[in-house]
Amino acid sequence: MIEYTRANGCNVVSLEVPGRLEYRDIVLRTVSASCKLVLPKSRGRRSRNSEFTIHIVSAVGEAYNNIVIHGYAGRQPESIRLRIESCQEWMRVIVMDTGTSFDPTQARPPDMDALPESGLGIYIMRSFVDEVSYVPGSHGSPNILTLFKSLDGSHKRGISLNAPFERKTG
Amino acid sequence: MVFDLDRKNDLSVLRIEGELDALSVVDLRPVIAKIGEDKPPKVLIDLSHLRLIDSSGVGAIVSMYKTVKAYQGDFAVVGAHDQPLAIFQLLRLDRVLLRDMA
Repeated sequence: MIEYTRANGCNVVSLEVPGRLEYRDIVLRTVSASCKLVLPKSRGRRSRNSEFTIHIVSAVGEAYNNIVIHGYAGRQPESIRLRIESCQEWMRVIVMDTGTSFDPTQARPPDMDALPESGLGIYIMRSFVDEVSYVPGSHGSPNILTLFKSLDGSHKRGISLNAPFERKTG
Repeated sequence: MVFDLDRKNDLSVLRIEGELDALSVVDLRPVIAKIGEDKPPKVLIDLSHLRLIDSSGVGAIVSMYKTVKAYQGDFAVVGAHDQPLAIFQLLRLDRVLLRDMA
């Protein structure tokens, strides 16, 4: 199910899919298409625009994977709902699910020198957007993950998850 | 995802096209196992036509790297661009994987 509205000057696309990996591509293509609604006034900045889309799509993809693979592990998967807000110069993607909540304080940056084969998803997600917030569901309300990214990074205020998370650079 | 494994003499070339993600990566596991069994001296992963990769796909590439290194073969990834290249660079894997071919 997909719906489109406008709110507060933003384009809002709402999407609901079954919480299975087979629907990941539909979600990511919708997110990618929504990025174009943020970018039209930035013609001539192809490289930066491409990077914006790459980062948002990658982050949402990892969030989606985590829900399907971990949140709905060992149970009948329910749906995943997304609200994609494309505004001038920024995008916010809200991802809601009813799977098992994850504790962001458990997330640790991977030791890249050890060439890990897993545990990279949250790092990718958090590295590629300006802000991440997570509210675990309770009493029938869904888990709510919010990813925010501005076109020029001016809104970047660091990671807003609960856990200290040192981003490796260099 | 579409892939093709081609071996000529000492060199095995694995071409991966489309999306290498949590859904498709399971199809690659037998290929990793076969490389481990055949032990080709040189393994080249061609990602020229790879559109998208996620952490699961990266895990598979790293697994292949470790498999080849375990029998002291040469391993390299070529052709990564756009989203896959951005992922490799973020994870600092470009230094290891993109310049290891002897």
